[in-house]
Amino acid sequence: MSNKHTILSALKQSALDQHAMPTIDVVANNDDLVGQFNASLNTVAGTLHSEGGLAALQQAVDELIQQNMQVISLLDGIKGNRQVPETAHDLADIDYAVIPGDLGVAENGAIWVNQPSHRVTPFICENLILALAKDNIVANMHQAVKQVSLQPGELGLFIAGPSKTADIEQALVVGAHGACSLNVYLY
Amino acid sequence: MSELYTASGSKVHAHKADIFCRDETRVDWHSKALWALREKRDRAAGSLPEWEQLRLLGSQLKLHTLSHLAQYLEQFEQQCLSNGIKVHWANDAQQHNEIVHGILAKHKVKKLVKSKSMLTEECHMNPYLERHGIEVVDTDLGERIIQLANMPPSHIVVPAIHMKKEEVGELFHQQLGTKAGESDPLYLTRAARAHLREKFLTADAAMTGVNMAIADQGAIVVCTNEGNADMGANLPKLQLHSMGIDKVVPNMDSVGVLLRTLARNATGQPITTYSSFYRGPQEGGEMHVIIVDNGRTEMMKDKILAESLKCIRCGGCLNTCPVYRRSGGYSYNYTIPGPIGIAVGAKHDDTNSIPWACTLCGSCTYVCPTMVPLDKIIAHHRRLKADAKRLPYGKGGYMPLVGRFMASETLMNTSMSAARLALRVLPGSLLKPFSGAWGKYRELPVAPESSFASWYNKNRSR
Ligand code: SF4
Repeated sequence: MSNKHTILSALKQSALDQHAMPTIDVVANNDDLVGQFNASLNTVAGTLHSEGGLAALQQAVDELIQQNMQVISLLDGIKGNRQVPETAHDLADIDYAVIPGDLGVAENGAIWVNQPSHRVTPFICENLILALAKDNIVANMHQAVKQVSLQPGELGLFIAGPSKTADIEQALVVGAHGACSLNVYLY
Repeated sequence: MSELYTASGSKVHAHKADIFCRDETRVDWHSKALWALREKRDRAAGSLPEWEQLRLLGSQLKLHTLSHLAQYLEQFEQQCLSNGIKVHWANDAQQHNEIVHGILAKHKVKKLVKSKSMLTEECHMNPYLERHGIEVVDTDLGERIIQLANMPPSHIVVPAIHMKKEEVGELFHQQLGTKAGESDPLYLTRAARAHLREKFLTADAAMTGVNMAIADQGAIVVCTNEGNADMGANLPKLQLHSMGIDKVVPNMDSVGVLLRTLARNATGQPITTYSSFYRGPQEGGEMHVIIVDNGRTEMMKDKILAESLKCIRCGGCLNTCPVYRRSGGYSYNYTIPGPIGIAVGAKHDDTNSIPWACTLCGSCTYVCPTMVPLDKIIAHHRRLKADAKRLPYGKGGYMPLVGRFMASETLMNTSMSAARLALRVLPGSLLKPFSGAWGKYRELPVAPESSFASWYNKNRSR
């Protein structure tokens, strides 16, 4: 018998009664979604830029480039100074990555990002910039998981703030292995 | 502390707790650090009016999945295959390790970067792979700290919670060449970031645990704050993910529920920094999922024990546990400590003592985001031990009686109330072995007027 069949047939002896799948019907707080999102993003150590839209983002990117930063943009219409390299490992010296966010979640400040070219981009960059349309903010995770796109073969993820750790005496340190800062531009 | 850190041999919980309790200031510090997590959890839970509804939903959807587990596992496998993910099945730890090694050997992997996975701890995978010449680098900061210190994790979410920053500073000074005497967490974290970045960039393969496996998507979800799982999985071309059979959930809606409670209950964060959904390998890469039983189907045969498989490993029950906070993670004789460690590890504990590392206060059950009835499960383990005549303390005198009494469901309606009654009517000295070293500085409730002897005679005649 294969391992799989051993496991599946052992499950036939389960003592658990049958339980029905519950209906997930949770009341959402739809008041001031941008305000809620901003507050949540602050708790997870991200920064929101809600004025100026994509023009403000391009201006910020231009300033970074003037400071000799290596900036890669995966967002149409925003120009950095680095192209997508052949291999993922060549992203190791990227200072800032600009990536489109698909959906924001008001209750926790998370932003859904769909499979970037080179999956490691949002993690390996020193700093991350996400752009998010104001209209694409939902109240909670129940709504979010219904709307995100996760195609077969792909990686999609929620990002809530810069990477962080509290593994040394519970002291919060922002910037563990992933990005050390997260700026979100609303448009 | 070295006696404690080696965590080998099979000393009863109370003895190991006693070692931990020798340094009273450290115990207080440890207890406070964990209580701070509990307080953060309370604030996060309190901020959601629907918190209790989410706990109930979490419990119900896990029970539903567990009671249809074969069906969901098969669906998960099928969906994975159509997404280009290779699926393996392992009956036990040995098979798991062999499968992992087989994949790594085929790709001539020399260096594996790994993110936190309690399952690979349970399978003792690191030493197995190291014996086969593969370098395994734990990349979660807490895990890296204890790996460098050659210790097992003492907590499932914050594995180095027992260590002081000065100790980490000294360890990093010796192993990573940081400045002597430097113990600033920011400085040490940055040093670890640089050290591990080099490991990520040169690894041949990556391994992660799995927080959830989505049956109808054929996708796995991995949650971290540090980004170490994703730095690993997305650099080398080979990614492996090990999961217990209990990790599967039916669909995205289920993930929505559990992601709302997991981090809030663990550390008080609204969600972990990264919740990554892998629905296939990267371009030109290979993705393997190893589905492991290792005793889980056996637990499913017992209706009460089966509920421990609802656990989503948030660590909340450890943080709130008065025994764990004052006895430390190394006193449990099992990889997973605390209430959930007793629930899933009691049968592996050859000292038969860990079911008694519990006051049956019920705080763990109260905080659990999937309503795992931990106190009920622990009381049940006492009964199983008593029925098997495997009680931890002396055979003579009243001890077996106390053990039985503390475990009994027939003396009183539930063993929880039995235990509370025991606290009221049995002399403290008699209960001490069961309260353990963590209770040494705590007075047990004062016994009422009726003497133990008269109580014993009356009840014995039943
Ligand atoms: S038993 Fe519940 S509280 Fe404990 S780790 Fe598991 S999910 Fe969290």
